[in-house]
Amino acid sequence: MFLGRVAGTVWSTVKWPQAQGLKLLLVRPYRVGDLPPGAAAAAGTTASEPTDDLVVCADTLDAGPGDDVIVAFGHAARVAVSEKLAPGDKPSVPIDAAVVAVVDRVEIPR
Amino acid sequence: MIRGTVIGQVWATRKARGLDGQTLLLVAARDAEGQPTGRLVVASDTLDARVGEDVTVAFGSGARNVLRPGPDNRDLLCDAAIAAIVEGAG
Repeated sequence: MFLGRVAGTVWSTVKWPQAQGLKLLLVRPYRVGDLPPGAAAAAGTTASEPTDDLVVCADTLDAGPGDDVIVAFGHAARVAVSEKLAPGDKPSVPIDAAVVAVVDRVEIPR
Repeated sequence: MIRGTVIGQVWATRKARGLDGQTLLLVAARDAEGQPTGRLVVASDTLDARVGEDVTVAFGSGARNVLRPGPDNRDLLCDAAIAAIVEGAG
């Protein structure tokens, strides 16, 4: 899983039927340099690093731009999404990333 | 798996049901030389890892095997888990 901030939304009309009704978000992963100074100190780095690529994620938690979220990959993403879909759709959802939590708080000791 | 350092904890109320009861720690990844790469991973913790400790993080089915070993764990919502607390690496 990774921690990221929702940067936008993706629309598509041509897609696999199993993905109909799934909302897709663009999420930018946080890196150590994006967090408060305590995080860089704990990780042992002060360098500012380049930003990762954006990740397209299915969203069933109604997250929106500006929200901090946790995103899961692979089978865990399909498990999260299948909680909101008909049981028959479970193995066939063609997604590999999903928002699994909307973050309240990140606790980084100083 | 990767090696990294625990730098904090993440809290969320609005989350997928499968995450209920899981402790989620923020881990800063390290490269082969032990230097931080800047990359962050959120991993489930069952070992009571603390901030500042070096850990290994397993992904995918390996992560599910940390939470519940065995073949019948595909219902678990987990793609990254702390598999060990590292005491030394050379």
